[in-house]
Amino acid sequence: MPCGEYFTSYEERMGLIRWRIERVALVLGLPIPLIAPFVLTGELVSVFTLVFIFGIAVLGLHVMLSYAGEIVLAQGAFMAIGAYTASRIVNEAGLGLLPAMLIAGLMTASVATAFGLPAGRVKGFYVAISTLALQFIAVQFFFRRGEFEAIHGGTQQSMPGEIGLVGDALAIGSANEEYFFALLMLVVFALLTMNLSRTGIARMFRALHENDLSAQVLGVNRFRNKLLAYAIGGFMVGVAGALYTIYIGFITPEFFSIDITLLHYMMLLLGGMGRVWGVILGVTTVELLNHYILQTLIDIFPEGTSLEPMFFGVIIIVVLIVEPKGLMAALGQLKEYLRKWPYAY
Amino acid sequence: MVDAAGLFSVLVTGIGIGALYALVAIGFALIYKITGVLNFAQGQFALLGAFLVVVLSTSVPFWMFDVQVPVFAALGLTVVIGALLGVALERLVFRYFIGEPVLSVVIVTLAFIGIVDGGIRFFISSQYRAYPEALQPSWSITLPYDTSVQAPFVIGVILALLTVAGLMAFFRYTVLGSILRASASDQQAAMVLGVSIERTIVVAWALSIAITSIGGILLAMSSGGAGFTIGDITILVFAAVVFGGLDSIPGAFIGGIVVGILQEFGVYLEEFLMPGLESVLPMVFLLVVIVVMPYGLFGTERIERL
Repeated sequence: MPCGEYFTSYEERMGLIRWRIERVALVLGLPIPLIAPFVLTGELVSVFTLVFIFGIAVLGLHVMLSYAGEIVLAQGAFMAIGAYTASRIVNEAGLGLLPAMLIAGLMTASVATAFGLPAGRVKGFYVAISTLALQFIAVQFFFRRGEFEAIHGGTQQSMPGEIGLVGDALAIGSANEEYFFALLMLVVFALLTMNLSRTGIARMFRALHENDLSAQVLGVNRFRNKLLAYAIGGFMVGVAGALYTIYIGFITPEFFSIDITLLHYMMLLLGGMGRVWGVILGVTTVELLNHYILQTLIDIFPEGTSLEPMFFGVIIIVVLIVEPKGLMAALGQLKEYLRKWPYAY
Repeated sequence: MVDAAGLFSVLVTGIGIGALYALVAIGFALIYKITGVLNFAQGQFALLGAFLVVVLSTSVPFWMFDVQVPVFAALGLTVVIGALLGVALERLVFRYFIGEPVLSVVIVTLAFIGIVDGGIRFFISSQYRAYPEALQPSWSITLPYDTSVQAPFVIGVILALLTVAGLMAFFRYTVLGSILRASASDQQAAMVLGVSIERTIVVAWALSIAITSIGGILLAMSSGGAGFTIGDITILVFAAVVFGGLDSIPGAFIGGIVVGILQEFGVYLEEFLMPGLESVLPMVFLLVVIVVMPYGLFGTERIERL
């Protein structure tokens, strides 16, 4: 990076790739995820597929939480809605994966918008509580107890081993195919989120986040923008839920408990709020940590697997005490240190 | 059929269960009023209280330590341990989050759900554990219309009323109580007047977790033993405190009773309408309250200025 910032136009300043070193990093870094599945073991490929899927879900949370500032605690419910919708579309209508993902996203977006309605009147704690109520209604009542089976079609569902993208064409089945498809989807949604943050829409979200009263005085429509944030975020989480069904192949309500909400919050906070790269970094770190902690526990102390939620709880509290801004901020500090080294003044 | 006897029984049982929720809700409102922390793990602390009694009074070990004391000593010890736990929580964790954004505090309490739940599953037991005979009272009070109230509910109602009255008197007539009220209404002004904010927050946490453990023990008694379903009451407690107005202790009591009655009414309606109303009715109530009157019955309305 050159010393100082020499931008002569706003287009340059707002560009996704601003410096030569970033272009070099892109060219060198791009092939890594593409050749990874042929180098890594099958287990790690599976872990990274999950990283990409959760990455999309956490990007959705990122839109609602870091841009719009809504503490949404219904991540599990949103993913469940996406997953069950996708499963029905694939199994009963036979439309294929892409339409299933689209409909799952739209379905989740509409439910998210409906439960975002209180955001027009209240904020902060109250939003957290009302979305937690959605989590309980959706997962405990709707899916686990099997009420209204006509809508969700049974508590336990399984997906076929091979699913066509549209109808039966272009089937996806093997682990590597799932990996590449999830990677493609993550790239698409990451670019969408990055671009969203550069448009007026996310600027309005941020203004409402910082001070909703001032933003309203300046003419930002609070109600409409909050609902828009719920719809965009809900769509992404729903799509991630649909992808999650093909990844695990079999869904039960246990996959979508409050634990998944907690896991996604941890990914977002560990990576650092407000940056798309922070989300990706956080998801990767947490999933790899999760994989290795679980493996070590199984190896040396098989009864101890119920300790895993404890480990995560402790890690999240320590992270919040030590570095509340997350890994991205820590890396930024390291960069500053190296830039001034050895003559820090 | 809608009949007077059925409705009366719904009302009585509802008040009984509601009083148990009210105890946990009071613990919640107390912390929120004084420290501003919204504790999403309140149900888990009730769960911990319920399991501690099992550990102390029966042969179920805690990891590798097997403690066994008389039943009533176990009850007392549980409440004391609850109070100490409150102190420890404040000292070790929540002290670092004074002045941090709302989100961090919410996440920390969410993390405690995992910590307490996983801890109980690993160190104590991952199954339902029955209470000793002495804690399963079989007496009940018979009311008109052949309605009977089980012992835990009777004790719950009495204890909840005593707690509310005791706390109200404590806040009104004692010096420590007025210090707590002062720091709740304006921390800076209280500090200027020589109040130690740290000490008041410690007192609030100790009181809150102790009251919550009593609620947890009674909830376990009403079902014959400690089971993990107690942890799920967090959301019902939210419904109760939001209706009462988040930072009001009498409000939390009334909210708890209302939620209990609604839940029982849901059970009653299940025959006519659809099953599962028991868990949905309080949620719907919660959402309606949040939209229609977010400050609840007695909550402080916060007016924002630019």
